[in-house]
Amino acid sequence: MKTTTVNVTGIGLWMPRYRDVAAWLEARPDDADLNPLGRALDRSNRRRAGVLGRAIADAAAQALEGAGADPSTVPTVVGSSIGEAATMIGLLDKMWRTTEPMSPAAFTVSVHNAASGLLSISNKNRGYTTSLAADEDTPAMALLEGIGLALEGVGPVLVVCGDEHAPRDLVQDLPQWELLAAGVVVAPLDPSVRAARLHVHALPPEMRDPARILPPAAVDCEFAHSPQVGMLDLVDALARGRSGLVALDRGLGRGYVAAIEFP
Amino acid sequence: MVVPKRQPLLVTGYSIVSALGAGRAEHLAALSAGRTGLAPCTIPLPFETYSGQVRAELPELPPALQARTTRIAGMAALLLEDLAEPLRRARERWRPERIAVLLGTSTAGAESTEDAYRAFVETGSFPRGYHFRYQHTFGAVLHVIAELSGARGPAWMASTACTSSGKPFASAARLMAADVIDAAIVGGIDTLCALTLRGFQSLQALDYGPCRPFHPDRGGISIGEGGAFALVERTGDPRLLVTGIGETSDAFHISAPHPEGAGALSAMRLALQQAGRAPEDVDHVNAHGTGTRLNDIAEAKAIAQVVRPGTPVISTKGYTGHTLGAAAAVEFALAALVVEEQWVPRSLGAGPVDPEIQLDVPTELRRGRFRSVLSNSFAFGGNNVSLLLEAP
Repeated sequence: MKTTTVNVTGIGLWMPRYRDVAAWLEARPDDADLNPLGRALDRSNRRRAGVLGRAIADAAAQALEGAGADPSTVPTVVGSSIGEAATMIGLLDKMWRTTEPMSPAAFTVSVHNAASGLLSISNKNRGYTTSLAADEDTPAMALLEGIGLALEGVGPVLVVCGDEHAPRDLVQDLPQWELLAAGVVVAPLDPSVRAARLHVHALPPEMRDPARILPPAAVDCEFAHSPQVGMLDLVDALARGRSGLVALDRGLGRGYVAAIEFP
Repeated sequence: MVVPKRQPLLVTGYSIVSALGAGRAEHLAALSAGRTGLAPCTIPLPFETYSGQVRAELPELPPALQARTTRIAGMAALLLEDLAEPLRRARERWRPERIAVLLGTSTAGAESTEDAYRAFVETGSFPRGYHFRYQHTFGAVLHVIAELSGARGPAWMASTACTSSGKPFASAARLMAADVIDAAIVGGIDTLCALTLRGFQSLQALDYGPCRPFHPDRGGISIGEGGAFALVERTGDPRLLVTGIGETSDAFHISAPHPEGAGALSAMRLALQQAGRAPEDVDHVNAHGTGTRLNDIAEAKAIAQVVRPGTPVISTKGYTGHTLGAAAAVEFALAALVVEEQWVPRSLGAGPVDPEIQLDVPTELRRGRFRSVLSNSFAFGGNNVSLLLEAP
């Protein structure tokens, strides 16, 4: 067992029509769940948050609940490739099309760490929180940061990744994707706990044993192109109790994998 | 709160670019002369303000990276040029996949998108050469840095607004402790954008003249651009050490600091606890010191609870402006200069000091013994980082 192996004690996800992991596993889409609720946010911050912040909060709430982790103390890593791009583009659009002054409320939630900040404020969490980005490697890098934290003995760590839909005007020549958030709670390895074990490392596709590679989550192309699909693939494998290797990107990243082992 | 035990980070080299210039010598010259880099902002805006614009010539990217040409990538290339020798030595000592690129930014390539989007609004199409993936995203500039430096380890951009470039120091320490890496390029970069300038103006947080942190009539921030990179290694011959890194949250408000500086206080205390240092061990503080009424008062209250009276506390934002996502790294480098040179520059814009600020804020250059320096950064979202730098 690698020294950087941790337990996964909670999982969560939010996708349009799939409000949680259970709905996803049962392939039970619901048109009532087209908008995330922001369950880990208090009422005022639900209003303040954009769809990305609310989707991240929904995935976070499930993962924390599953892990029995305390939202007021859990260190939190939020990964997002483009962050609050829609808010930023809205501000740009207004800035170049009108002479209206900028909305201070919109500006303050245009920062990449709006979701992690609102989670911290809502849950009165005065500890560690961060927000990071690495394009299609965001899930792998967020997990590495979370594992690093867990190994420092700070307790369980929430790692949640999400991206809102692709900014269509700006990525006309690239595949589009839709809103998606998924996350896990990782904790220092405890052999007495019956929880999945996780180790994240670089393993280029040509060096992978095909027999150990787990199938990716069965999603339509609008989710397959999300920079965060690797986190969805990991949550899917964990939810189905599968041991093996999960590729943390679908070909555009630098080749990180998550090795899962169920006791 | 658990205090993680960590080995000190060994800083074997660092580089800096800001409105004061590029590299150590230009920064020392400006700081010792008390010369600001702030000037009337040249970005077209519907109001007047000062900003700290980088005037250094930025290198061209090599042909293979030309499509990724942006101002932020050019600044990154300049910082790597200045770090070339320690990086060369690191590549001889460590495998490329054991060298990480852990940086921070708040803007990434937003400056390019801002221009491109303006063209889109005016003409209905984006300019030739603009590419979201190669120029806007956080990964775009990461790719440039990884290619130019030869680092092949984990690579990410922290983006926690004005603490973005402080957090990578802690991430590097964690990855080293977990034996994932042996070295890392840490720090961060940010560029000036009209969007940011207008945003801070909408919050009434922008000074229309050069910012005056700790001054009784301070009117807000002046925004700057720039960056600093540090090479940190598991072993080696360090120029200085990072012995404590406090990372906390206010859990108070998305854009306003806690009025008593509670999160700032806990970040500074955490950094000291991690280093095993007592308050009397701190010789100097490079404050976040933005020049807004709220920040400077709240931070001063917090600092006064941490350090002994008479400890010189300055803000360097009167020199460089608030470099936002790069501020923690830029101020790390300016604090490093204090440890190496044994003098504290005057807190530019502070004379006279606000009587409500019960700190020793030097308004003249001060020589002394400065072996242990705290450097603070605070951000939207209530994010706080405090770094403790020490002489080896």
